[in-house]
Amino acid sequence: MSERHENARSMLQLRDLHKRFGATPIIRGVSLDIREGERHAIIGPNGAGKSTLFNLIGGLFAPSSGSIRLAGESIESLAPFEIYRRGLARSFQVTNIFPRLSVYENIRCSVLWSLGYRYSFRHDVSKLRDANERTDRVLEQIGMVARRDVRAGILTYAEQRALEIGITIAGDARVILLDEPTAGMSRAEAARAVELIRSISSGRTLVIVEHDMGVVFDLADRISVLVYGEIVATDAPARIRENPTVQAAYLGTSLHA
Amino acid sequence: MSSASHGTGASRRGRLRRWAAQQRAWLIAIAILIVLPHVPGLDGNFGRSLLSQMGIAAVFALSYNLLLGQTGLLSFGHAVYFGLGGYAAIHLMRAINGGLPIPMPLVPLAGAAAGLFFGMLFGAVTTRRAGVVFALISLGIGELVFAAMRILQGFSGGEEGITANRGLGPHPFGLTLGPQLQVYYVIAFWSVLSAALMAAFLRTPVGRMCNAVRDNPERAAFIGYDPVRVRFVAFSVAAMFAGLAGGLHALNYEIVAAEAVGAGRSGAVLLMAYIGGVQHFFGAVLGAITITWLQISLSDYTTAWQLYLGLFFMAAVLFAPGGLSGLLSMHRPIVRTRAFLEVLKTYAIAAVPVLIAAAGAIMLLEMNYRRATQPDAGARIKLFTLDLDTSTPWPWLAAIVLLAMGVLLFRRTRPLVERAWERAGAEARAAGASREAAR
Repeated sequence: MSERHENARSMLQLRDLHKRFGATPIIRGVSLDIREGERHAIIGPNGAGKSTLFNLIGGLFAPSSGSIRLAGESIESLAPFEIYRRGLARSFQVTNIFPRLSVYENIRCSVLWSLGYRYSFRHDVSKLRDANERTDRVLEQIGMVARRDVRAGILTYAEQRALEIGITIAGDARVILLDEPTAGMSRAEAARAVELIRSISSGRTLVIVEHDMGVVFDLADRISVLVYGEIVATDAPARIRENPTVQAAYLGTSLHA
Repeated sequence: MSSASHGTGASRRGRLRRWAAQQRAWLIAIAILIVLPHVPGLDGNFGRSLLSQMGIAAVFALSYNLLLGQTGLLSFGHAVYFGLGGYAAIHLMRAINGGLPIPMPLVPLAGAAAGLFFGMLFGAVTTRRAGVVFALISLGIGELVFAAMRILQGFSGGEEGITANRGLGPHPFGLTLGPQLQVYYVIAFWSVLSAALMAAFLRTPVGRMCNAVRDNPERAAFIGYDPVRVRFVAFSVAAMFAGLAGGLHALNYEIVAAEAVGAGRSGAVLLMAYIGGVQHFFGAVLGAITITWLQISLSDYTTAWQLYLGLFFMAAVLFAPGGLSGLLSMHRPIVRTRAFLEVLKTYAIAAVPVLIAAAGAIMLLEMNYRRATQPDAGARIKLFTLDLDTSTPWPWLAAIVLLAMGVLLFRRTRPLVERAWERAGAEARAAGASREAAR
């Protein structure tokens, strides 16, 4: 699987990234290259700093030091909306939707920027054919056509997770960061989510943080293991399984899910 | 496509009919606004002046709801833009009085321009943060501008205000703005136009993002939008329409004084938007009509009217957080059920103890208020055509008994209302399910 990406250029490049909260170092020198078009999973024990790493890449936190490049452009000092406009979208571990808007409105708001409507005063959104068509397509992709007029805040948990992914992918970003997309889902729901992620990530670069090893080994082209703020290994899934450092980090838990 | 481009008479009529169907609510509203000042009771100077004030309040409250209801910004200083718009308009009116050839009905546009200008000026600072910080800064700017208006006597006329004459200037189409009816129609025109423009604003991409930023500013940033910029746009637009309302105020009263930018007016518009209901666009209009009517009619009956307004606001916050429009829309699903009539009947039954309790409460309030504020007037008080001697314990006792009886009886009638609601709800659900099955 990974061979086809071997020569691809680096889409997301982290160099010697550090993040401290007060005196506590959370990310301690992460360097990582995510290749264009690959599905890259980041795994690691609780508290390893996976979500913090995502928050640094997405622009929610500024790194203490180090650099982040998206397709060669330095983004580590940009605000989230500027990073998004350069083609990187992310989802959240704790569902982060627009609760009082309908499902349809949630998605339609998420397609506006990428279609170039920006802060427009001149368009009536109900008459924007491209925005409404793309919204319909995304709703179909995430399987929520029947729920389009429901207020997002009263959806079931699994539906909100699907909507979370829908919002993330609606804007056609080149790089997608998914933070534990299957957390809290039943087996069947997680399987559906994996299919969804597989379909939405084709033609894009995907970085995913996930606890479910079944999902990780099923989806990922390469896996990075983050332990206490450092990457201890980056490799193809099969090689990660055999890696003694990784096995030590996951002492007591099985990597053969 | 081809039939549309040929534009035959038939298809043009068809399009006109479709457009009329889409805009039905607006067309009905316009028809009502045209007829209202000729309805008996409202066809005098008092009625027409009341309607004019309601129109002004409606534009102001709608503009406030762009902030609170649509963008989630709680402002304690929205009157700043109303008042500064009013000042811009009154100064333009004076210039017209001095010979500037601009028709008076266009004066509110000067208010809108001033509102927009100051909205952008202050908004650039205040919209950096939402929530409590925004609310407190808005309060600070409100106090600042109010103080400035009292100091800058030459510009503002201070507490006495600054006057102009709306009748002195060019009179296009014979519009002298002498009769209140003409003023009313000018105000109604600008009110409808403002409401339509605000509704249209909410349908634009940036308008939709106002709702998104209200719900979740963090996520809005992760779909490409700068929440600060969205808030700034909403704030500027709201300030512009507040300024237009201020311009209407100048035209209607021919005077603008420092109170126009004051905290009292900022509080009143918050009251209107909230009591009307912030979740629905037209809730603000409902609130503006109700509060304006209460302000004017209550003050005819009692000097303690602000007390009642406060109580009304508290009751609304506690028992109807969705406001009047929330109460109304709550009934929408059950309106077509057979049990709805029963719900209305139980409302009528429950209204009796409420009125009894209210009578007791009003007696207590009025007797206390008059004894405290007008001790010279003596112990005898006229209330509800009754002659009460407050030096004896009997009126006090009667008031307490009425209040207690009303509260107790209301608690008995409440289950009646709840049961009727349950039946209506069940019926509506069953009807919904069978419609679903039929599909």
